[in-house]
Amino acid sequence: MSLILQTILDGLVLGGLYSLAAVGFSLIFGVMNVVNLTHGVIVLIGAYLAYAFWHGLGVDPLLAIPLVMAALFAFGYVYQRGLIQLAVDRSSLLASMLVTFGVALMLRNVLVLVFSPDFKSVTPSYAFTVFFLGPVTIDLVRLSALGASLVLLCVLAGVLRWTAVGRVIRATAQQDLAARLCGVDVRHVYGITFGVSAAFAGASGAIIGIVVPFSPPDEALWTINAFVVVTLGGVGSPSGALLGGLLLGLISTLTSQLIGPQFPNAMMFLILVVMLLLRPSGLLGNAFSGSR
Amino acid sequence: MLAEGIRAHRWWIVAAAVGFAVLLTAPAYLTPFQVRVGQLFLFSAGLGVAWTILGGFAGYWSFGHTAFIGLGAFVAGAFELHVPLGSPVATMVAGTALGSLACAAVSAVIAYPILRLRGIYFAIAMLGVSQVFAELTNNVDAFKGTMGINMPNAVPASMEPQTFFYYVFVAATALTLGVAFWVKVSRLGYGLVSIREDEDTARMLGVPTERYKIWAFVLSATLTGLLGIVYAHALGYITTGSVYRTDFSLNMIVYALLGGIGTIVGPVLGSALMVWLTQVVLGRLLDVHMFITGALLVAIVLLAPHGLVGFARKLLRRGAGGGA
Repeated sequence: MSLILQTILDGLVLGGLYSLAAVGFSLIFGVMNVVNLTHGVIVLIGAYLAYAFWHGLGVDPLLAIPLVMAALFAFGYVYQRGLIQLAVDRSSLLASMLVTFGVALMLRNVLVLVFSPDFKSVTPSYAFTVFFLGPVTIDLVRLSALGASLVLLCVLAGVLRWTAVGRVIRATAQQDLAARLCGVDVRHVYGITFGVSAAFAGASGAIIGIVVPFSPPDEALWTINAFVVVTLGGVGSPSGALLGGLLLGLISTLTSQLIGPQFPNAMMFLILVVMLLLRPSGLLGNAFSGSR
Repeated sequence: MLAEGIRAHRWWIVAAAVGFAVLLTAPAYLTPFQVRVGQLFLFSAGLGVAWTILGGFAGYWSFGHTAFIGLGAFVAGAFELHVPLGSPVATMVAGTALGSLACAAVSAVIAYPILRLRGIYFAIAMLGVSQVFAELTNNVDAFKGTMGINMPNAVPASMEPQTFFYYVFVAATALTLGVAFWVKVSRLGYGLVSIREDEDTARMLGVPTERYKIWAFVLSATLTGLLGIVYAHALGYITTGSVYRTDFSLNMIVYALLGGIGTIVGPVLGSALMVWLTQVVLGRLLDVHMFITGALLVAIVLLAPHGLVGFARKLLRRGAGGGA
């Protein structure tokens, strides 16, 4: 019994990270229909920036999150205005996906050159503190990671719901033409959306860095994870990402515990394919006309 | 319709025949390294064209076609390992046939449900399919995905292995080109293009979209599998990681896009350029290999969104005085 409880707890912690890592991907997909294959590499850039702050300046990775987010927000804004928008205008949405793939290759190469292809990890002083909650154990790192993820997701949800910027982003997601008629500078909004997405991806990377070791080739995994989370939960909303992420975390820990440690990926993709076939708009269902 | 198609495209057919004549004589004066590059080019061109039957003609972009490379390779490998026939060549032929059949059968089974998805959803679902296949190959004992399979050696004693497989690749790629051409000029091809342009309208006008899509999917998957099986034999030893490669899936798209999507000559040109760039020009710059490939990809999409073929057409039109 305690084994199952422990597995579920681990799954939820992992799921919190998946949610935060995927929320930006979901936002971009929801607002401009762009599948951003650079997403995973941005998550990793966040992890490497936190690593650099921690190693170079001794800044705690959780405290470095605002710095990482600011840097990546600027990167995301410039990236969208300078490259993605150009690709969408000149060819098609599918082709813009290839641009993001090309940039992912370039950035991954840069990460290898700067930080070497080896695994890195960030181990702050509290890395080995462990709590006992009745029959289950949880270490402080994972607990703070889950906490930070949830706080950031709530912040994003609040920004989207109650601020002027959030309202404009949601309006553009619903119908860009109507938004433009109401005087919204849609391109600026796209840039901001991309910036916000990159900032949250970077924040998740900084948190992931203290929980698991990372290396440049991991980026593909984080991109695919983000896609699965979005497919499970639904596009474009923090709550969808949270639901999808937690489900994905539970699926992967429960599968490896109950079926076998080699099966989580197969199970994850099987569920992805089945979900796409049965309910392509996700469990929370912001339906997309493009799916069928 | 085939006769009309041949007449309309007679210069392309002549060009292809000349191309294959050059390819057939090439090993006589190329170095072994160049013959290997030639193999890679033929493999890539074949993959690009096979992908085009579905992705280019019907507009269904698969992101997981490597599923069929891996499936074909492992079915052929497992068969040849467990059921060796009298001669190695017979074993290879039987394994190749069986592997291709397996790809046809599996693709026919998954075609109906998966082709109900469109656009990005279809692309990602195929990515998922390829990952599931790869994981299952890793974990099903008969396939020995993690330990790997030694493919039986079918190279005749009188030939260098790279030359032998070069000729096998020429045959497989020629077959792929032939099938793609036949599809393009047949009723099926016109149906597929109408699906790409507007599936709902095509359906309303009486095009059997469901059936056509399934045919395109099965043909594309089977040819991809066939090429994958040849590739597996040329490698000699396969593991899950060496045949289920996401970069194969993406490269097929890159070749088609670089050359010109929806055309048959496009992927051939695209693969020639990419193989030449990555193997010959960048062969010594392994550190920044990925960076340059990525930059190239970005540049193509931004500068020549309709590929080399589209770029050439634009130049021709401008040259003919049509004006912009």
